[in-house]
Amino acid sequence: MENKDIKVQVKNLTKSFGDLLVLDDISFEIKKGEFVCIVGPTGCGKSTFLNLLTRLIPATKGEILLDGEPADPQKHSISFVFQEPSAFDWLTVQQNIEYGLKIKKRPPEEIKAQTDKIIQLLGLEEWREVYPKDLSVSMEQRVVIGRAFAVNPDLLLMDEPYGQMDIKMRYYLEDEVIRLWKATGSTVLFITHNLEEAVYLAERVLILSNKPAKLKAQIQVDLPRPRNVSDPKFIEIRKEITDMIKWW
Amino acid sequence: MDREKRKYDYLLILLSIAILLGAWIIFSQMNPKVFPTPLAAWERLVKLVERPVMKISIWGHIGISLQRVLIALAVATVLGVAFGLVTGWCPRIKAAFNPLFVALRPIPPIAWIPLIILWFGIGEFPKVLLVFIGAFFPIAQNTMAGVEMVDDMYLKVGKIYKANTWNMLRHIVFPASMPAIMAGIKISLSSGWMVVVAAEMLASKSGLGFLIIRGQESFDIALVLVGMVLIGLIGAAFSIVFTFIERWICPWMTK
Amino acid sequence: MDDQVTNIALHLENISKSFYGRKQVFEAVNHITLDVRENEFLVLLGPGRCGKTVLLNMIGGLEVPTVGTVDFPGGKNEGVGFVFQKTAVFPWKTVMENVELPLQMAGVPKKERREKARYLINLVGLAGFEDALPKQLSGGMKQRVGIARAYCSNPKILLMDEPFGALDAQTRYQMEEEVLRIWEKEKRTVIFVTNNIEEAVYLGDRIVLLSECPARIKEIYPVDLARPRDYVDPEFLKLRETIEQNTDLAL
Repeated sequence: MENKDIKVQVKNLTKSFGDLLVLDDISFEIKKGEFVCIVGPTGCGKSTFLNLLTRLIPATKGEILLDGEPADPQKHSISFVFQEPSAFDWLTVQQNIEYGLKIKKRPPEEIKAQTDKIIQLLGLEEWREVYPKDLSVSMEQRVVIGRAFAVNPDLLLMDEPYGQMDIKMRYYLEDEVIRLWKATGSTVLFITHNLEEAVYLAERVLILSNKPAKLKAQIQVDLPRPRNVSDPKFIEIRKEITDMIKWW
Repeated sequence: MDREKRKYDYLLILLSIAILLGAWIIFSQMNPKVFPTPLAAWERLVKLVERPVMKISIWGHIGISLQRVLIALAVATVLGVAFGLVTGWCPRIKAAFNPLFVALRPIPPIAWIPLIILWFGIGEFPKVLLVFIGAFFPIAQNTMAGVEMVDDMYLKVGKIYKANTWNMLRHIVFPASMPAIMAGIKISLSSGWMVVVAAEMLASKSGLGFLIIRGQESFDIALVLVGMVLIGLIGAAFSIVFTFIERWICPWMTK
Repeated sequence: MDDQVTNIALHLENISKSFYGRKQVFEAVNHITLDVRENEFLVLLGPGRCGKTVLLNMIGGLEVPTVGTVDFPGGKNEGVGFVFQKTAVFPWKTVMENVELPLQMAGVPKKERREKARYLINLVGLAGFEDALPKQLSGGMKQRVGIARAYCSNPKILLMDEPFGALDAQTRYQMEEEVLRIWEKEKRTVIFVTNNIEEAVYLGDRIVLLSECPARIKEIYPVDLARPRDYVDPEFLKLRETIEQNTDLAL
């Protein structure tokens, strides 16, 4: 394993609502520039986990450190991509992608260079001046993802961004997100129900148990990219994870 | 955490009431003659309970105002919902009635007072009629909008299973419009309450609006304040009670 | 599979559907001719949002084809059952009231229709939830209500329009198993619309692959894998990949 810097540290994270324990003592680390997927059975508390990370709700115990400091959306740059595309309706594709950079008051040259780079990676050159209402759902989601990557966030959280797409589209977008990730060197935490997607994307998969969620296992995925879902090694890893969380 | 939050909410409610009372006390010190203190208003209320005005006890005045509002509201609900359902459901009927509806709706109910007194005198009926005018339009309007916005998928379900018009309205369109209807009734409740007070102020020998005018005429400012506070309290009670009724009638709406 | 002559439950003859906007004509379905066999599980698979639902609506009689005919050679007395995307369960009705609705609309007496509805509620695994309101149910359970309701009119043909589209990947696997279990027990002709190739291969006797807008039939794939199918069986993956490569990418 390469020795990268530790970017994110989650220490003994615990959350209970009254007597109901939802997250039970979860600890793990994410290295700088790493692509990590989190999977778990339906209803295992993944969204609670996300809400803790984004500080929407406080943890009962434990902490989340970014670069060694308590994670704070005010201070650190944390980007989000959710399942429902959330491009700003009143901004064009280009303005959407510039948005975060402008908020952070980056110099104009940098904004232009970074925006151009992202637009080119997304292949959206012809769509620069288009408003979201004229985009398909998948197109809009790609703009949102581009916007999230553009600011070079300390941490990029993606919550089932491709949940509603058909498979062909998903493959396309998954390859695209890998491309963006490699080009920007971002640290990505990707939450999904789809185990095939997790194995396809991740360098490492974190597996949560049923409620109260514990960290059940971590699986390193060392397959070369682009990965092939029919590859026996791929299937083996997918099966291994499936057996760990199957409830249906 | 939730319980603590709720405790916090109650504290805030108490705080806002305290601020209002505090402001009342402070400003009433400036000239108690034209702005009596809360204590003076309270004493006036106690006296009011002991000594009727116009041979009607305070409960009688409250009761008659309530009666006017509730009768008008009941009639407005029945007619407004029926009108809204029919016009919302059938574009042709809407095309026929909508211009009339749109032209009449912006006329404030109070503007009808001269005509209605002229036509019907100052008995009970004209007051109830005025409140009805104030209550009918919001209910009809909201019902119509609610019907027009029923999710197409619900209508498709009805169509697939060959629901006739009556079943369609009863089982699908009406319940689906319920949130909008309820919102309309809520608006009517407050506008109806407003209209009844105005009507009583202009032409009545009973009711809370009459008490206020009586206070003004006899320079009994404490009585004016008592009337105002009672109107406010009853209005607030209306909306609380209505929230419970809503929860009871439409259990599916609350989370 | 067996020797008996399979009857045709539904025949689509050269169906096209266009919508006329103010300025342009939008063509959703283009020249579809198709026979659906009695009691077969047929999957209509297509990318994006195009045409599939329109086609299903025409079969269900909710829309009229611009050109072509929809025929039910075996008769259509009991009509069709329709499973919609999740929101079509009425939030103001209990599970029981939702399920019995088709019979109620048909004027069936209460006792009789409740009996039938209770049987179906048990069948879809919701026994004990008869008086629950939909808001108390999970997404998967709501869709079970939708399935029971569709069966309640006792249709010969069940139309399912992306019923599991809004569910997460795992609940989806569970519901796919469930819908097959129910279908094995109460055989009907099922036409199931989805954009999910894995789901199509798991469920279908045959898969009709549609093109991007306007929807045309690209290819029909018979699925000769024994049930229950395994999502990572090499044959399964091979078919999935074949279909995937033949699918249009709707960007």
